[in-house]
Amino acid sequence: MNWAILVDAITYSCLISLMSFGLAFVRITTGVWNVAHAGLVTIGAYVVFISVALVGGSPYIYLPLAFIACSLVAILEYITIIEPLRRRKASTIMMLVATLSLDLFLFSLLNILADYLQFGLGLPSKNFLLRSFDFNFLGLPGIFWSSLLLLIFSLGFLQYLLKHTTVGISLRASINNPLLAPLIGVSITRVNMLSWLISGGFAGLSGGLLPLWTQGKPVLGDSLLPVMFCVAIVGGVEEVFGTFIGGILVGFTQTLLTFALSLVFGPSVIPYKTLIPMVILAITLLFAPRGITGIEWRRFLSLLRARVIAWRS
Amino acid sequence: MEEVSLPVESQGDRMEELILTFLTDLISLLAIYFIVNLSLNLELGYVGIPNFGLVLAVTGGAYTVGWLPIRLLMHIYAVDSGLSSDILKNNVLIVTQINHYLQSDPLTGILVFVLTLLVAMCVGGALGVLAAYPAIRLRSDYLAITLLALGEILSIIGRNYEPLVGGVIGIMVPDLWSWLGSIRFLLLPIILLGIAASTVLFLEILSRSPVYRTFRAVRDNEVAAASLGKDIVRVRTSALIIGSMMSGLAGALYASYSCYVGPNVYGRMEWTFLPWLMVIFGGLGNNKGVLLGTSVFIAFRKLIVFYKEAFAFLPFDVVWMEYLLLSLVLLIIVILRPHGLMKEKPGCTLPRDELIKIAQEFSSKN
Repeated sequence: MNWAILVDAITYSCLISLMSFGLAFVRITTGVWNVAHAGLVTIGAYVVFISVALVGGSPYIYLPLAFIACSLVAILEYITIIEPLRRRKASTIMMLVATLSLDLFLFSLLNILADYLQFGLGLPSKNFLLRSFDFNFLGLPGIFWSSLLLLIFSLGFLQYLLKHTTVGISLRASINNPLLAPLIGVSITRVNMLSWLISGGFAGLSGGLLPLWTQGKPVLGDSLLPVMFCVAIVGGVEEVFGTFIGGILVGFTQTLLTFALSLVFGPSVIPYKTLIPMVILAITLLFAPRGITGIEWRRFLSLLRARVIAWRS
Repeated sequence: MEEVSLPVESQGDRMEELILTFLTDLISLLAIYFIVNLSLNLELGYVGIPNFGLVLAVTGGAYTVGWLPIRLLMHIYAVDSGLSSDILKNNVLIVTQINHYLQSDPLTGILVFVLTLLVAMCVGGALGVLAAYPAIRLRSDYLAITLLALGEILSIIGRNYEPLVGGVIGIMVPDLWSWLGSIRFLLLPIILLGIAASTVLFLEILSRSPVYRTFRAVRDNEVAAASLGKDIVRVRTSALIIGSMMSGLAGALYASYSCYVGPNVYGRMEWTFLPWLMVIFGGLGNNKGVLLGTSVFIAFRKLIVFYKEAFAFLPFDVVWMEYLLLSLVLLIIVILRPHGLMKEKPGCTLPRDELIKIAQEFSSKN
């Protein structure tokens, strides 16, 4: 077994899980597919890059800053665009168009910022990699440990938030029944804002970690948008934790399958690895459109058992 | 160093030439985007298919132009076998040789152009349906993001599989209109506009047909349409085929116009996001609105590029300011005027005389 590939698969899976979580979370709570989530991921990367370039130190110490910055941008998005549209009862597609424009807006701003940093301050903002700032522990890169720990911490945090806090219970109530939740005193607007805040924060965290693993550039988040959608759909937007399962499945399949195929057909297949999530997406939509967490496993297993018995007899 | 100034006459000539180039470029781009945006209007405005994978069919059409004519013409003109053994390496030499032959052979140029467009339309249609197939039965937002994700497929293949369109560098395409000589750059925009006009005409005829009413029924209420015997998946698929064929045509026209095909030219931003912005800006479901929205957007973009030098003081590329303004305009439109510049009008039914005739026939029977 090639350990480097395994480490790569785990790191990639953790990063795309964290990245896609915000996308699915907002879809679950507010019913909006936020295309601008890609922009938030890129903002996270730039917050860390600018801080490291101007102030210095380890990129990890700026992760809370990336979390706060992206949460604020997400809240601003919600207040200025999503909430007015929600009040007007805009269709899902109109919401999608609004977030699309917002993504274009953020993309332009990020490019303006990158141009200014490059030509005005002489920073390599169009293509940067922060690997040289990373630490090494037990012979493994820091990004492996940090992404894994962050994923475990996020799962724990969400589990605690949703199951053991009043805010979390309100959030679950509004997810399960947005019409009845206000009757027990839940403010849908506040709950929605909280979900956008969490979503933005996670986008910032994952974005902040990305330059430690891959090249940072203004198009970073947008280039990963198809993968984020794949992960969200494969995991299923029925359950909050679906994305984590989806991320691990897509990340592992993509990395390990590419490795296996490269052993058989040679390294020329490696550039096509981005096609794998799309194939997984197509298969999921054909056979389990509600994603992995949407599959009724009991029914599925009993059906399978019946088939096996019929085949044996 | 002494400053050398151009004579007043030559300065005037240069200005005239610049304006002419600007206008021809504007008309060509308008014609191409008219077709793409009308195809989106057909899918989204008529049937309610949120095609976020528009770029796939456009790229399919463009790649057809990058792959087919050069091979076909190499065979027709029996290009030197030393050159044809490696199309990518000898691309410029081969294209130069083919263009030389085409200058005196308009018939072959036109025939290959028509054939390429037909193949591009078929490729576009097939790609559109293939990408939508996994999610065509699902809710519209699922279909939208599936198309968005799968729209990238051809770009990834094109970038990495060099024999298709030369990989990242791209490929030069024979100029099938080189026989027009010096008037090529004046006449080609008019030809493109003619093709765009024919697609407008096609959609106008379609919007007066029973097919259009079926499309709208599916868009407005799937359950009601299904209860009246309409096959929702079939209707959606038909609309996607027609729309994607139109997008494929637009991609092929753009590639033929620019005489170059490269994966980087056919990005999600230019060929999915911007068409969406233009259609929503103009008015969804209204062809006139879409044409107006496209004209305003494209003219605005071209003007910014034309006056690029005036923005030289900015510490960033002016193209980002253009995107920034466009996205802001769209955000305002979506929030304050969601139906765009022009509202959708009720569809055309049968002429009044014909309706009276049918009513009379019906009453006489009973």
